Amino acid sequence: MVSVGTIVWLASELMFFAALFASYYTIRAVVPQLWAQDTPKLDVPFASVNTTVLVLSSVSCQLGVFAAERGQVGRAGRLFEVGKWGLREWFVLTYVMGAFFIGGQAKEYAGMIHDGITIPSSPYGSIFYLATGFHGLHVTGGLIAFLFVLGRTFMAKHFTHEQAVTAIVVSYYWHFVDIVWIGLFATIYLLQ
Amino acid sequence: MRIEAWVFGINAIFFALVGPIYWYMSGDPTGTAALIMTTLLALLVAFYLGFHAKKMDSRPEDRKEAEVYEGTGEIGFFPPYSWWPLWCGLCVTTIALGIVIGWWLVIIGFGAGSIALIGWVFEFYRGEHAH
Repeated sequence: MVSVGTIVWLASELMFFAALFASYYTIRAVVPQLWAQDTPKLDVPFASVNTTVLVLSSVSCQLGVFAAERGQVGRAGRLFEVGKWGLREWFVLTYVMGAFFIGGQAKEYAGMIHDGITIPSSPYGSIFYLATGFHGLHVTGGLIAFLFVLGRTFMAKHFTHEQAVTAIVVSYYWHFVDIVWIGLFATIYLLQ
Repeated sequence: MRIEAWVFGINAIFFALVGPIYWYMSGDPTGTAALIMTTLLALLVAFYLGFHAKKMDSRPEDRKEAEVYEGTGEIGFFPPYSWWPLWCGLCVTTIALGIVIGWWLVIIGFGAGSIALIGWVFEFYRGEHAH
C-alpha cells in the first residue's frame, strides 16, 4: 500500500520535473545566444564527479534495501567488513554520498555566482538555478528521509516489516531523484 | 497485476511513438519534452507493476475462479486518526506565507515544521505505541 502510494506520488513528481525540462528547452529555443555565452562557464569535470557520487549512492542505497529485505538492520561483523553491513551502515554511507553531492552543488553555485550567473541575471541563470535547485531540494529531502529511516530502526526494539517498507520506499524516491539528475546532467552539462 | 502493467505499458508505447512524430512535425521543444516525460511516467508505473507481478502470486482479482472471501485479510496499516498532518500542513502554509511576507517567517516555519514532521514520522514509535 505504502509503496503503491509512493509510486503514484513519484509519477506526479516526474511531471513536476517535466515542467522544468520543458521550460529549459523552451527558453533555450527562444534565446540560444545565452547558451553560447553562459555554458562555457560550467565546470563539467567537477559536475561529472558529483554525478558519479550520486549514482554510486543509489547502488549503496539498494544494497541497504537488500539488507532490509533479509531483515538485517545492523552489521554482522566489524565496521570495515563491508560484506557484513546491514541497513544502517549502507544508509549512512548513502547519506554521506548524498551530502557530498549537495556540498559539491553549493560549491558549484558559488563559482557560478562569482561568474555573474544568478537567478535574476538572465533567463539561462533562472532556469539553471530553478532546475538544479529544485533537484537539490529533493536530494535534501531524501537526506532527511534517510535520517527518519535510521531513527525508526533505533526507536523500536525489533526490526519490523513496516521499517523495511519505509526503507524500500525511501530507496524508490532516491533512485527517482538519481535518475532525474542523470537527465538534468545530460540536459545542462552534456547538451551544451 | 500483469493486466495493470500492460494498461500503462500500452500508454508508454503510444507516447514513445507520438513524441518523435510530434517533434518531426512541429519542431516544438516544449511539447516534445512533455511527451518524453509522459512516456517515462507511464513506463515508471508499468515497470513497477510488471516487476511486482513477477514477484508475487496472482491475487484473487487476477483469477477467474476466485471467490470473494479470498480477498479478506490484512491490507496494510492505517492509523485510526492523526493530528500531525494538520500541523505539517500549517507549517508548510507558514513557509509559503514567509516567501510573501518576509523570510523570517520561513525560519519559524521550518523550525516548527521539523517538530511536526518528527511527530508524524515517529507517532507510532513512542508513548503508548512504543514497540
